[in-house]
Amino acid sequence: MRATQEALLAEMRSWGYRYVVTPTVESLAVLERGLGVQQRRRLFKFADGDGSLLALVGERTVPVARLIAGKLRSQPLPIRLCYSGSVLVNEAGRFSRRRESHQLGAELVGAPGAVADAEVIALAVRCLDAAGLRDYQVDVGHQEFFAGLLAGLAVPTQTKVDIQEALAGRDLVRLETILADTSLRTAEHELLLRFPALRGGAEILEAASGLVQNERSARALEDLRRVLSILDGQGLGGSVQIDLGASRDFDYYTGVVFEAYGGDLGRPVVQGGRYDHLLSGFGRPAPATGFVVHMDLVGETLQGSPARRALPSLSAAVAWSADGLESALRLGSSLRLFGMRAVVDTQPRSLGAARRWSAGLGANHLIHVTGAAEAAWQPRAGRLRKLPPEQVVGRLAGGAR
Amino acid sequence: MISLAIPTGALLAGSLELLGRSAVVTLGPEEIGRQLLVERGGIRVILVRPSDVPAYVDHGAADLGIVGKDSLVEFPGSRYELVDLGFGACTMVVATPERSPLGGPSTWPPLLRVATKYPHATATYMRSLGQTAEIVRLHGSVELAPLVGLVDAIVDLSATGTTLRENRLRVVAEVFTSTARLIANQAALKRRSPELQALVARVRAPRA
Repeated sequence: MRATQEALLAEMRSWGYRYVVTPTVESLAVLERGLGVQQRRRLFKFADGDGSLLALVGERTVPVARLIAGKLRSQPLPIRLCYSGSVLVNEAGRFSRRRESHQLGAELVGAPGAVADAEVIALAVRCLDAAGLRDYQVDVGHQEFFAGLLAGLAVPTQTKVDIQEALAGRDLVRLETILADTSLRTAEHELLLRFPALRGGAEILEAASGLVQNERSARALEDLRRVLSILDGQGLGGSVQIDLGASRDFDYYTGVVFEAYGGDLGRPVVQGGRYDHLLSGFGRPAPATGFVVHMDLVGETLQGSPARRALPSLSAAVAWSADGLESALRLGSSLRLFGMRAVVDTQPRSLGAARRWSAGLGANHLIHVTGAAEAAWQPRAGRLRKLPPEQVVGRLAGGAR
Repeated sequence: MISLAIPTGALLAGSLELLGRSAVVTLGPEEIGRQLLVERGGIRVILVRPSDVPAYVDHGAADLGIVGKDSLVEFPGSRYELVDLGFGACTMVVATPERSPLGGPSTWPPLLRVATKYPHATATYMRSLGQTAEIVRLHGSVELAPLVGLVDAIVDLSATGTTLRENRLRVVAEVFTSTARLIANQAALKRRSPELQALVARVRAPRA
């Protein structure tokens, strides 16, 4: 798990995303500024000595937004940040899911448009690769596509609210019933009905643009076309599908949204999208997009896969006997300076015992220091050579990792 | 292989009939009742308790499920509700003893005591009315509860009203009506879209 997390963060850092640490306990008032009613209800809340209300964070995008609008206020936009930490939710339901889970995410704040959207999707795909996930699929949709259809419907506001609710609840039976009661029979109406089946490659965008008659939906399709072509250009087109039905969380997301599914898991492992309104709640309006990786689900998926990632192996095991301790400790420090992973023993050992100890650790090299200027070096599956400690460093750092 | 969870009980016959009619899979009630899990023609059919169908689908152990709307209301989750299958019609009702002075919601006391197998649906309904209620969760023979003075009223499913009449109960309010629905796991619907859509189309076709 730890190795997967490090691999993901390394991938994010290599894209220029700075790692930030946000608190696990926040003032309730702060969290409420960024969360919907449902999410607020699920927070663990408590009071401190003064009686002010606090909560444990249920997700970490809001704390990151506060950081950008607060401490990082003077930093020019766009800002790229990544984070990793626990989130706690009070899931009162039939399925008692774990209350604490681990989320890792990246946020790109201050950049509007398809290029930024494509960047975070590409990063999400690379992260899934870095985590060692195989056979995953990323679905990309757009909130405005559906919003445009809805705005264009000549029905009372209440009906629109009902439609939105039915879609958010994935209740297509109710959706059909509501639409059947409206007397409209336009091409856009048909689009709404075919809602969950609007998936596929670029051809879906073509088909849909023939049917939409409103500006907002058409612009959404154009956005998606650009995102798809940018991703195609990076050779990522194969991992990505268009899903025009992938609208969700209407109060939060505002543009391109995406979800990644992996393995046989019944839930998405990555969720993300554009949320252009959140930052204004903290007094620094800015377009923003990002995603979260549900680390526990990634772990579950990896568990079932045959190719599990091994920990990077230990470079050197440094054993010592008699007067070798001081020299051994120095040798360990030098090896680490060269970026190798070295363990220095805590007790003296004979050469034979040191070999067994080193094999148990899985080290690539055994170094046995027997005096200030005496050492023996043995690579795994190599022969033993006697040479002074300084030269061992030279040999190992010279490429013999 | 597509897996499909179907419920024991009142909806079983209708489910099997629908699957046979739409040429998804032909199965007799005895065969599935004996084996609980049957694989045939690229379909795996799992027989589980009605209230367990949402769990199988939500967790992805079944791609699709057939289940009453009542179970979907009782167990909220993240599945897709695809098709109203039309059969298994019944109503979730509030019933009181015939001799009780309690009628419609306006006559209910400030704190109503209710027995039900559907505590979540009942709580949601009572909240929507602004009615405070003490909900007693029972696992069977809910009709008995008001007759022996455990509660003032019950919330239960009623198809024909016979059971209620036999126990000298009368319907004083309707909560919602229910029919069998076809539901799908959210990830399965995305990852295996063509297969599932083809099956959904077959189930949908004979009704239209």
